[in-house]
Amino acid sequence: MPTSALVAATVESAINKLLSLDDESEKRLKALNGARLTAFVSPLPYGVTLSFSDSVDVLTEHGSFEDVVSQLGPRDCCIKTSLQTLPELKETSQLTRLIQQKALFLEGELNVAQQVSGLFQQLEIDVEELLASKTNDVFAHQSVKTASIIHEKAKTTLATAARLFGNAIVEEKQVAAHKLAVMHFSDEVNALRDHTDSVDARLRRLEEKLK
Amino acid sequence: MSDNQTPSTSVDPTAEHTTHFGFKQVDKGQKASLVANVFDSVAAKYDVMNDLMSMGVHRLWKRFTIDCSGVRAGQKVLDIAGGTGDLTAKFSRLVGPTGRVTLADINLSMLKVGRDKLRDRGLVSNIDYVQADAEALPFPDNHFDVVTMAFGLRNVTEKQNALNSIYRVLKPGGRLLVLEFSKPTSEQLSKIYDMYSFHILPKMGQLVANDAESYQYLAESIRMHPDQETLKGMFEEAGFEQCDYQNLTGGIVALHRGYKF
Repeated sequence: MPTSALVAATVESAINKLLSLDDESEKRLKALNGARLTAFVSPLPYGVTLSFSDSVDVLTEHGSFEDVVSQLGPRDCCIKTSLQTLPELKETSQLTRLIQQKALFLEGELNVAQQVSGLFQQLEIDVEELLASKTNDVFAHQSVKTASIIHEKAKTTLATAARLFGNAIVEEKQVAAHKLAVMHFSDEVNALRDHTDSVDARLRRLEEKLK
Repeated sequence: MSDNQTPSTSVDPTAEHTTHFGFKQVDKGQKASLVANVFDSVAAKYDVMNDLMSMGVHRLWKRFTIDCSGVRAGQKVLDIAGGTGDLTAKFSRLVGPTGRVTLADINLSMLKVGRDKLRDRGLVSNIDYVQADAEALPFPDNHFDVVTMAFGLRNVTEKQNALNSIYRVLKPGGRLLVLEFSKPTSEQLSKIYDMYSFHILPKMGQLVANDAESYQYLAESIRMHPDQETLKGMFEEAGFEQCDYQNLTGGIVALHRGYKF
């Protein structure tokens, strides 16, 4: 079974479902009509193309970055980057720096990449409204409220745990003897043992004399 | 394979005027109408049966074909034996308003089901529907950028004629993709596949589409279709270059590709 096709189908369904949950995304999608964004993200073995019409089609690219670049149309954009760099692409102000550092290769229409980024970043999904349409208002409101309380508590607990853990590590580090100190202590113990041995020998000699 | 799963030899298979229809040998002039009867019978339940028989995997095979097609906005695509329009639907969005997709099928019942399905999905602006025989395509020379044929070639009487005809209508630089049942690469898979095809498939067809015979024909026609290497050779004979194929699901299906330069 072509795994790449399965992955693409899953991603495509997820993207189109997400976009359908935000009425405003239709307008943003319209602006992208006819555009294509291809991304090669290492270490993924193949590229992924998002083709925009009244919905998003996800295709896998089995050719190389250079192959795709050679066939770019007027509304196409192709990027090559890595998974580590991907989060930094959210900040469009960082693009120039990333290109200079060769962490990002970008060919074609930059606007397309920016519009695609906007399409996903500006998604606003009213979960409560969605849940209410499938259940009822009270249940939806209570569920969302509970989920948000749990989320807040989990966030606070995690932050506290992280702080405690950080402090513990720093304090433990201070209490623990440094490697040099341990070596110095061992040297002193050795010197004391030598000294004790020599006192012991002298005492034995004195005892011999007294006999 | 049991006795009823071997090709009939009642008619001389080497005779020039005969061809196979499943395991039967029939007159070449008869095959098209026999295949037409099969598809007239299954058209209404075609999609449901495809999903059921392949457990949905046929969608992934078709998607992989689209991935390999390299279709761009503004191109002209011909989907031969396009049936209920699975490939055409996707191509229509990919070529956009400046491109065109032609859905061709020899069978009017299938074409009507495909047309209704695509129109119901709102895909109307860039699709043409043509009832056409793959052996004599009614299109000008050097016309299409991409030609696809998914699960259609094995039903064509003279496959080599169909490949020659496709070569003629493709533009230089264009590519042909043929997705078709083929020969499993593992002996064990082949045994399981035979059991499934000859014992379970016709029963499924009887149960869902009330037509066991058509699905018996499907199983038989798959066995009579050229294997991967033979079909590749036929591509080359038609004039295609850089021909290759990729086995999918252990060779149950293969995607053949060839370019016209």
